Amino acid sequence: MINIKDVSKWYGEFRVLHKITEEIKRNQTVVICGPSGSGKSTLLRCINGLEYFQEGKIIVDGKSVQDPSTDIFELRADIGMVFQHFELYPHMTAMDNISLAPRKVRKKSREDARAIAMKLLERVGIPEQAHKYPGELSGGQKQRVAIARALAMEPKVMLFDEPTSALDPEMIKEVLDVMIDLAKEGMTMIVVTHEMGFAREVADEIIFMDEGRIIERGTDESFFKNPKSERTREFLDKILM
Amino acid sequence: MDWGVISRNLTFLMGGLGVTFQLAVFALAGGFALGIVLGLCRISSRRWIYYPATVFINTLRSIPLLIVIFWFYFALPIMFKAPLTAFQSAVISFIIFESTYFAEIIRAGIQAVPKGQVSAGYSTGLSYFRTMRHIVVPQALRNMVPALVTQSIVIFQDTSLAYIIGVKEFLRRTSLVDAREIRTVELYVFAALVYFVICFIGSSISRRLERRQLS
Repeated sequence: MINIKDVSKWYGEFRVLHKITEEIKRNQTVVICGPSGSGKSTLLRCINGLEYFQEGKIIVDGKSVQDPSTDIFELRADIGMVFQHFELYPHMTAMDNISLAPRKVRKKSREDARAIAMKLLERVGIPEQAHKYPGELSGGQKQRVAIARALAMEPKVMLFDEPTSALDPEMIKEVLDVMIDLAKEGMTMIVVTHEMGFAREVADEIIFMDEGRIIERGTDESFFKNPKSERTREFLDKILM
Repeated sequence: MDWGVISRNLTFLMGGLGVTFQLAVFALAGGFALGIVLGLCRISSRRWIYYPATVFINTLRSIPLLIVIFWFYFALPIMFKAPLTAFQSAVISFIIFESTYFAEIIRAGIQAVPKGQVSAGYSTGLSYFRTMRHIVVPQALRNMVPALVTQSIVIFQDTSLAYIIGVKEFLRRTSLVDAREIRTVELYVFAALVYFVICFIGSSISRRLERRQLS
């Protein structure tokens, strides 16, 4: 589904990504963790072409992201993304946030788009918030609307960029529950997160990144019990306590 | 004191106010439209778009409006070998001059919209144009409203400079009446009052909009 091959990226002199290679199969959930500044978010943003990378290749669903013949806007429509700071459109209701892209990109009628939005709001458990503006929602509700917005495009892949790190602790679970359901339903997901409980429950693979490199990859328990590198162990000790 | 001078010439003077409003409306509409283009050029990452717009804006903002009006009045007919009326050349000067101020207001308004909003639009497959149209511009406009209203008030006052090339707007007509009746104090007190009342109403609207934005 997603094939990342030898991807390197520099910001000026500074190398953010160092020959990253990774394959994500359909229906898989991959969790990426690592300290801040390790290039996790940048990697995620390279996958849907929000960031440019100088070397390597990323193929999503058979299309090469930076190939000039690829319509990146068309490709992005198939890749949902959820951001750390929600990035809901503050001047639109939850309903309009969700139905904008289906209407403008998928050319759905207003009624159809609204029906899709309503169904998704029910799915993430907040149909009663449909006509509220983002400013009137709690953090957890905002992030659930953001997930619904991404799902409204019926994406083939979902990217999550630290979806719970800006949330108050009591709201993390409601967002994670939605994500867990999604993973169990077979959505292909790449999740940058430090929620190791989530990783344990649904991740098919866990990747540890540091200084732009993939230091370690593991499946589930082996990753937590016997990390191979010292750096991974230190990191896990810190976040698991 | 003879305040009768105003009522005797009211029709003539108010006709001038009409011309003033015409100038202001043209300057506002044209300046805003050109300002949008220039403002977007100013945030372009392409150098060949960014640099000419930046030079254009910074140059015009460093020249007094009066010189711009003069320059267009005398130079344009020579350059294009087409006679322009004073009104036309004044309108062109205002549009070009004010567009640089609008451009900066628009640039600031757009740059105040968080970058993540663009990422969010793009991530759902929206094009650059649609992301601008549905996500960035509505938020930017909201940021800009108070500055736009203020600039409109400034434009309204600036139109009086068209006096210098003989456009018969409000101030010019005031001076024409004064030349005939020699009632300088009464006439210019009245002129100032008219400008004041209109601008005061404008700035009250601006203040109200700003307050509404804060809440």
